[in-house]
Amino acid sequence: MFNFAFSSMSEAILMESQNGQNHGIYVWSVFLIVFGALILTFIIYKNKIRNLSKKIK
Amino acid sequence: MNILYFELLKLRKKSRGWLGPILVFILIMTAFPLTVEFLNEDLEQAFFSILWIAVLLVMMLATEDIFLEDYNDGSLEQLVIHTESLSFVIGVKILIYWALIGIPVSLIGSIYCLGITSSFEMALLIFPVLLISSYIFLNLFCFGNSLTLTKGSVLGTLITMPLLLPLLVVLGKVVIAINLGLNYFDFLILLLGVLSIIIVIIPLIISFVIRAHLE
Amino acid sequence: MIKKFIHQFASPKTYLKQVDRAYSYIFFTSLSIYLIAIFWGLFLTPEDFVQGHSYRIIYLHVPASFISQSLYLGMAFASAIFLIWKVKLSAYLVRSIAPIGAMTTFIALVSGSIWGIPTWGTWWAWDARIISTLILFIMYLGLISLHDSFTNNEKADKFLAILVLVGSVNIPIIKMSVEWWSTLHQSASITITQKPAIDPSMLYPLFASAIGFTGLVVCLVILSSKFHILDRERNKSWVKDYV
Repeated sequence: MFNFAFSSMSEAILMESQNGQNHGIYVWSVFLIVFGALILTFIIYKNKIRNLSKKIK
Repeated sequence: MNILYFELLKLRKKSRGWLGPILVFILIMTAFPLTVEFLNEDLEQAFFSILWIAVLLVMMLATEDIFLEDYNDGSLEQLVIHTESLSFVIGVKILIYWALIGIPVSLIGSIYCLGITSSFEMALLIFPVLLISSYIFLNLFCFGNSLTLTKGSVLGTLITMPLLLPLLVVLGKVVIAINLGLNYFDFLILLLGVLSIIIVIIPLIISFVIRAHLE
Repeated sequence: MIKKFIHQFASPKTYLKQVDRAYSYIFFTSLSIYLIAIFWGLFLTPEDFVQGHSYRIIYLHVPASFISQSLYLGMAFASAIFLIWKVKLSAYLVRSIAPIGAMTTFIALVSGSIWGIPTWGTWWAWDARIISTLILFIMYLGLISLHDSFTNNEKADKFLAILVLVGSVNIPIIKMSVEWWSTLHQSASITITQKPAIDPSMLYPLFASAIGFTGLVVCLVILSSKFHILDRERNKSWVKDYV
């Protein structure tokens, strides 16, 4: 259950499947989008709160 | 009865309010064959989706200023103060809009259906569906336009269209059911059930919204 | 009694105090759970026999689409509370959940359409689930623009709550769209009533990532509600003390 599915880093990036296609590009682009969106939203709201507190003060 | 007559007179005097949407409907239905090659089969394929969307658009245009003029000249405020049940008056108002716009549009729609599919049975079966769906559309667009009373009808449409998505799916299924000779009446009863719920609830919600507007 | 309870504990002031205390705990626990789950899902789970490695998108896609519908239910719940008991806090919550919901729906849509390329061979299909998710996205944006178009905030709160409640009829339809119509999108692999149609070694990281993502989204809702509360109550004296 806890065995690595890939033996090397480059294999994990390419993610070559049994049918010979590289699925890494899809998986990693989704990964980037999800984390990018999360981080961006956190930053936006932190900034908004900071600006608002300055204005209230 | 008094309210009914009064509202009828008000809408009938304003010919752009009721004649305009019907003419726009005719224009849309006449214009769409121009965009397709003049082959009958293609027309038939696209016809029903154009029909539903055209009915939807026309109902949207018809309800654009259903409460706005009353709101601007203050008669809506009078109505809220003087009548006991605002929701009843609103229900009557929607009914009159349906009678003057919805019924003619449904008739013309089924005539177009006869012209394009050239099957009398199809046109006959589509007519009640058009009647019911136009009434539902009217109710929901009234709700959307009452929410965005002074903010224009684009916003009203933006917030109401998502609510109509399930209905459009059902309408698509009805056409398939008619074509295959399947459970057409089940769909009709389903639509009637939806209508009977909407007819009661939407005027109540609209009266609540209008009271909130006038606070 | 319920009314008294709600009014005592749902004042924006107490809410902010409680939430500030809990925020860092929730944030760090859920972030660590999420990162572990994503690492587990992306590297440690075995390859899927049919889909190959592209199935690993499930650990990013499913939590987002699950949350995007749950947030709407949360909004509907909060607006019902607002309309029945006139609790101001829940009106603020409704307004602050909407942009977060739009964000998660956006993630679900984009990740789903990228997932579609290797598995279905197309990035967009006009099927019930995808369309209804897109409609949900537009609904969230419509809610935000409805609220922002009114300068009178009390009025806007009321209208927003009504629209959310009326719009909640669409949620069961979005939920059941996979089962009612024959579509390209597979039906839900995990339901409460039935045994999951997915191998345990793939299921546990999915649960973990769903929990972690939920926690992160809760943190976002807290931040967003903090912003909206401070914005709306900026003239109150306690806000000046708080800031």
